[in-house]
Amino acid sequence: MLLELTEEQKLIQDTAKDFAKAELEPVAAQLDQGSDRGPLLANLKKLAELGFMGLNVREEYGGAEAGAISFSVAMTEIARACASTAVTVSVNNMAAEVIQAVGSEEQKRAYIPKICSGEFSAASFALTETCAGSDPAGMLTQAVDDGDSWVLNGSKIFITSASYAGVFVVWAVTDKAAPKGKGISCFLVEAGTPGLVIGKEEHKMGQHASATNEVIFADCRIPKSAMMGKLNDGFRIAVSELAGGRIGIGSLGLGVGLAAMDYATRYATERTQFGQKISSFQAIQWMVADAYTELEAARLLLMNAAFRKDQGKSFAKEASMAKLYATEAANRACYQAIQMLGGYGYTQDFPVERYARDARITSIYEGTSEIQRVVISREILKNFAQ
Amino acid sequence: MKILVCVKQVPDMESRFKPDGSGTWFEEADLAFRMNEYDEYAVEQAVQLKEQLGNEPEVTVLSIGPDRVNEAIKKALAMGCDRGAHIQDPAPQGKDPWQIASIITQFAQGEGFDLIFTGMQSQDRGSAQVGVLVAELLGFACATTLVGFAYADGVITAKRELEGGIKGIAKLRLPAVVTCQLGLNIPRYPTLPNIMKAKKKEILAIPVADLLKEEAVASTARFYPPARKGGGIVLEGDVGNLVEQLYGILKEKTTVLR
Repeated sequence: MLLELTEEQKLIQDTAKDFAKAELEPVAAQLDQGSDRGPLLANLKKLAELGFMGLNVREEYGGAEAGAISFSVAMTEIARACASTAVTVSVNNMAAEVIQAVGSEEQKRAYIPKICSGEFSAASFALTETCAGSDPAGMLTQAVDDGDSWVLNGSKIFITSASYAGVFVVWAVTDKAAPKGKGISCFLVEAGTPGLVIGKEEHKMGQHASATNEVIFADCRIPKSAMMGKLNDGFRIAVSELAGGRIGIGSLGLGVGLAAMDYATRYATERTQFGQKISSFQAIQWMVADAYTELEAARLLLMNAAFRKDQGKSFAKEASMAKLYATEAANRACYQAIQMLGGYGYTQDFPVERYARDARITSIYEGTSEIQRVVISREILKNFAQ
Repeated sequence: MKILVCVKQVPDMESRFKPDGSGTWFEEADLAFRMNEYDEYAVEQAVQLKEQLGNEPEVTVLSIGPDRVNEAIKKALAMGCDRGAHIQDPAPQGKDPWQIASIITQFAQGEGFDLIFTGMQSQDRGSAQVGVLVAELLGFACATTLVGFAYADGVITAKRELEGGIKGIAKLRLPAVVTCQLGLNIPRYPTLPNIMKAKKKEILAIPVADLLKEEAVASTARFYPPARKGGGIVLEGDVGNLVEQLYGILKEKTTVLR
């Protein structure tokens, strides 16, 4: 057993680290505070040109063919500097991967190269609705067969990157009479399609630079060829093809948690109280030991899930375990980092409060911690069933 | 045109160094290694020249060291070099600049290079001798500490950084060796597809014993951390008094006010 990155994986990690430090970190605080997305979009373009939008995509579609482990380590390095940039990169990669996995050859050629090259700043998943979050099969958005086209009606919420996405992966009900989850199909809808309306942007706790919008379909007419995968197979795509995204978000959480602890630990070695560095107090030492132990465990879980994916083995359970553990560990690390900085940690003069706000969503989006536990226990229990 | 770029892999300079058992080098086991910063400028300049000349030149990247240096070679290949040469040496730190230069020269003699790029020095040992020694041994023209590079009609126009920030211009005919300084260019990031494709490029593996013909002329006697300096002086009192004290110290113990 070899717990060592390959030379290529190390080079990708180094490239992500160098880029993040030089280009992302200097603008992260400003992006968190401001409304100008210019620097975010410019950095997304540069990341695309370096190959970070199609890490696990085949070369013929403009991808890097670098695999899931490379994806994980790259996400962690990007998230150490800017979680908003990282989530966009993760979602773009997953959109490209899903189209590669279930799209037609024509769809692959039409959209994947544009995601990988940065011609599209982003791609979006439009799955969640107001009444269909953890339970997406309860969605109401409909696609009606109208001769040579489909007509979409309904609305989606919490759509990442909607205001600058070039293409949307959209789920809609195509058979209302079918049993739950058996009458949903998946579609690719291009930005600018009449009837596709980008609604209000959410005011979030963190990850401010990443846009999160309502998306409305009002008699949105798309060609028959816009369906992705088989009719009424959309729910399966949503629950099975997106497991890789959990590796992405777990890795993102890890990056934010490491950034917070690295900052707080350095601070603890400089800050003096009671005549000594606070790192000489056992209370602080235990915080450091616990947080780094948990983050290391998270990293190993992520590497295991990514390794299994690269090997072509089942990885849904492992990805959920890694996502659950890494994002919760990241939240604990961020709150502990604030504690280590004391009152300063609560101010915006130090980055740890931003890390804590950015980390909070990671145990919610891409499947809540509770849903990850559902997936994990289901996978385990089925091996015990009589 | 045939171009050679010599790169060294060095520890991340933010690492904590401690002397190893021999007392002449540092413990390497837990260090992260990267391409020497100055060598990145050398790779970038070589690749820019290749692009300027319509991709005609073949660029070979050479590194001496244990297996880990393949990572530095692959980075250079991903940045645009065409082939690699790994001179296999488990302990290059035991060799002095003269031996390292002679190894590179032995390799280069059979290859017919027109132009050799190196960093102006390594970040770890920092002798700044290897480039000039290679030039001397091969009988090539040489210019060091480049902060500007232009090539036209067989002539290099090299902008050199001299002491005190003064710049000098040197013109060299090929064949030549140039050593590269901070400010020459901004090295590109290797793209991910190019990192993956670098796997398919040729890397020659040559045992160092095949190329090493020279004895060392200098040896490292001891590697040790500098002695801890005493604590600084803390001045106390009212502002007027502080200024007096500071002025007195600067005048008596430094050359600042002379």
